[in-house]
Amino acid sequence: MTANNPSPVFTTQFDTSNQEFVATGVFRPRSIADIADDLLLLRDKIEKVHGVFYVNLKRVTHMNSTAFGALARVLVDASYSRPELKIVVLASSVVTWATQMFRHLGELSPNISMEIYDSAFYPGQAFVEDKSFIPILRTQTKMTWRHERTILPRHGLRGGMAIADICCGIGDFAMLVRKEFDPARIVALDHSVASLDYARSVAEDFCVRDIEYTFGDASQMLFESDQFDFVTCRHSLQIFDRPELLLRELYRICKPGGRVYITNEKNSHCLGEPRAETIQWTYNEVAKLFRHFDMDVEMGPKGSRLLLDTGFEDVRIESFMVTNHDGDPQEFADVIEAWEDVYAGEMSARRGDSPEFVARFRQGFRDHIFAALHPRGYAGWPIWAASGQKPL
Amino acid sequence: MADAAFEQLLNLEMEMATFTSDWLHCDQLSNYVAQMVSHDRRDPLRHSNLLSSALNELLEMSFRSEAQEGELACVFYRHEQIERIELSFPCPSQQHRFYAELVRGLKHGGKLANYVKVIADETAPLEQAILLGLAVNYDAEIELRASAAEALTFVVDLPLERLLT
Repeated sequence: MTANNPSPVFTTQFDTSNQEFVATGVFRPRSIADIADDLLLLRDKIEKVHGVFYVNLKRVTHMNSTAFGALARVLVDASYSRPELKIVVLASSVVTWATQMFRHLGELSPNISMEIYDSAFYPGQAFVEDKSFIPILRTQTKMTWRHERTILPRHGLRGGMAIADICCGIGDFAMLVRKEFDPARIVALDHSVASLDYARSVAEDFCVRDIEYTFGDASQMLFESDQFDFVTCRHSLQIFDRPELLLRELYRICKPGGRVYITNEKNSHCLGEPRAETIQWTYNEVAKLFRHFDMDVEMGPKGSRLLLDTGFEDVRIESFMVTNHDGDPQEFADVIEAWEDVYAGEMSARRGDSPEFVARFRQGFRDHIFAALHPRGYAGWPIWAASGQKPL
Repeated sequence: MADAAFEQLLNLEMEMATFTSDWLHCDQLSNYVAQMVSHDRRDPLRHSNLLSSALNELLEMSFRSEAQEGELACVFYRHEQIERIELSFPCPSQQHRFYAELVRGLKHGGKLANYVKVIADETAPLEQAILLGLAVNYDAEIELRASAAEALTFVVDLPLERLLT
């Protein structure tokens, strides 16, 4: 159901399969009567479930004391009338007022608890958050930027735009875009505190004060709708288990007529010569390994379909190959070495792979490095860049 | 007089009659002003979200005073990690005494216990829930300042930057 004016827009619904009451939007009613139907829905559903009842408030951006008090009293009453029921309130770590307010519910009833939705947002985030990975991320951006600086204008990026870089990581792409395209405004969002700390320290070192870095969950951002002319999301949809959810948010924050630009890989198409066969085998296994962790590093060519399915039009897609011939081959080799550490090290171990498999898996990376550094060799890393326009 | 350490950022004035003509003004003003005040904070978006939440509570409280005459004035200051809101609005003397009592109550210990009690009590005044909520959830320091006749000024210091980290 949706509130009528004059209250700001909010919605509530009940997901039967998850026993989850989901609220979204701005809850600032003038009186409890304004949210009476929503409270009725909540009361009604609590009475009908068994076990655990979830109250999902992750997408509530604001809530006033009127709404909070009313909601709290319904939950507390229910916790006493149905003492066998556990009530779990889900709040986002991004929204500080929510975590501050809802922590008190546990003091009102031992059957109510709050869970802060934070970790495990990106299945792949934990693998690359280690500080030792930062130089590699910087090198990767440096290698892709050689291509993207000419690709981006073909996808509609030009000077003076309001830009959002979602899943900005260590912020180096935002920094390069700022320098090259002189945006009117640039915001960079990521869910990793460590990456944002690094991004802010680099910006400070270079006296850059006009990039707005923000901690946020890309699937439920605090940005208002229709804010940005150009929204970028690079190498991130592929490490997210629900890319369609993220794309809907990118669509929402993009202005009508603006464009969303995404890049993704197709890891099984990484290639090299000599030793092509072992390289090919290993990167096919990389794709399977990511799939095991609910990530799709084969997403690149699917960009066009994903954008169209989200509602974008005038979709453009192209691919480019980062190679050992673009710049210093050692940089390419360093990146492959870092991939080997993470994929054949941490991820493979976590999947429980045998030593024999890991040895063969590693060999492909080493052969890729061999190809990259070979005076007559070739090593490639293919990437797909796609963009779509939000209809006017 | 503002504390000399605090730098003024923004001054908002509005006829009470205009302000109270639409409940949405609380939401719109708090979001709009919070974005401006927060633009140069470390995480402008989250700072703005948090400031808007606190400010909206204060604006809703002044909206409920139902005064039609006079002006709503909202002045923003900053000192290091603290945002200060000085909110003045017309208020009859009886209501003034009520607010003064609530603010005095914040000076005593047991704010958290009182807040938890007030949340569960639907007969508790909403103003009490708002002021206790600001003190407990936002670590706000709240003062009530003598203002022009039939008006009062809340001075609310919010260490939002600290809360966000």
